[in-house]
Amino acid sequence: MSFCLETYLQQSDDYQILLSRAGFKDCAKIIQENASEIVFIKPGEKILGARIIGIPPIPIGINEEKGTIIIPYTKPCYGTAAVELPVELEEIEKIKAVATS
Amino acid sequence: MKKALILLGCPESPSQTPLAVYAAYQLKKKGFEVTIAGTPSAMKLMEISDPEEHYLTFKIDIDSCLGDLDQGSYDLLLGFAHKDAAVSYFVTFYHILQVPSIAMVFEKDPQLLEEFEKQVEESTGAKIVSARAYHNPTPLRVKLDRAIEEMVI
Repeated sequence: MSFCLETYLQQSDDYQILLSRAGFKDCAKIIQENASEIVFIKPGEKILGARIIGIPPIPIGINEEKGTIIIPYTKPCYGTAAVELPVELEEIEKIKAVATS
Repeated sequence: MKKALILLGCPESPSQTPLAVYAAYQLKKKGFEVTIAGTPSAMKLMEISDPEEHYLTFKIDIDSCLGDLDQGSYDLLLGFAHKDAAVSYFVTFYHILQVPSIAMVFEKDPQLLEEFEKQVEESTGAKIVSARAYHNPTPLRVKLDRAIEEMVI
C-alpha cells in the first residue's frame, strides 16, 4: 500500500506544524528559516507519494540530523501549511535526487 | 475528441460556480470533452447548478485528479486562481500538464488581485483572464469568451 500524506497527518502526532492557514510565500519563508539544508523542487514533484503543490521554486527543508523534512502542504480552502515530519534517510536521498537546485 | 480540464478552487467566491458552468458550456460548444475537478463542496454547488448534468459530465475530486495527472492528460487547462491556494494549485496543474492554459484570476481586493496575477504570470505561460470581481461574473465572462476564441481554433 502506498503512503498517503493526508492519512498520515490525520493519524500521527509526530509531526510539527510550523505555520498553518497561510499563503505559499510565507510558508516558503518559514521552511527556509527552519531547515539546515534547503533544496528546491518543481511543482507537482512527489514526496512521500504525494504531489507537492506550490509556486516554483518550491523549497523543501531538510534537517538530516533530526531526520526530518519540512514541506509546504496546501488544501484549497485552508491555504498552505509548513509541516515538519520525520522521514527515513532513503526519502531524503529521493528528494535530493529530484531537486532542481 | 479533445479534452479540457476545469480546475475549481475553494467555492467561497460566488462567481466561481456560474463561471465554471459557463466555461464548460463554451468548451463543449467548441468540441471539448470537459472534466471538472474540485473539492467536494465546490462539486456540490456544481451538481445543484446543473442537475441534469448537461455540463457536469465528467467530474473528479481535485486531489485524486492531481495524484493521477500526467503530462498531456488533457489538451486544455482552465483554472480558477482566486485565492492563494488556488493559484498554487493552478500553477502545479500547469507544470504537470504542460498544455495551453487559461487562468481565471479574480479578487475584490486590488492588491491581492495584482499579486495573484503576478504569481501566475511569473510561473506559467497561461493566458490570464482577470478582473476585480466577487459577486458579479459578467466582466470575467466577457474576457473568458475572448480568451476561448483566441486559444481554441
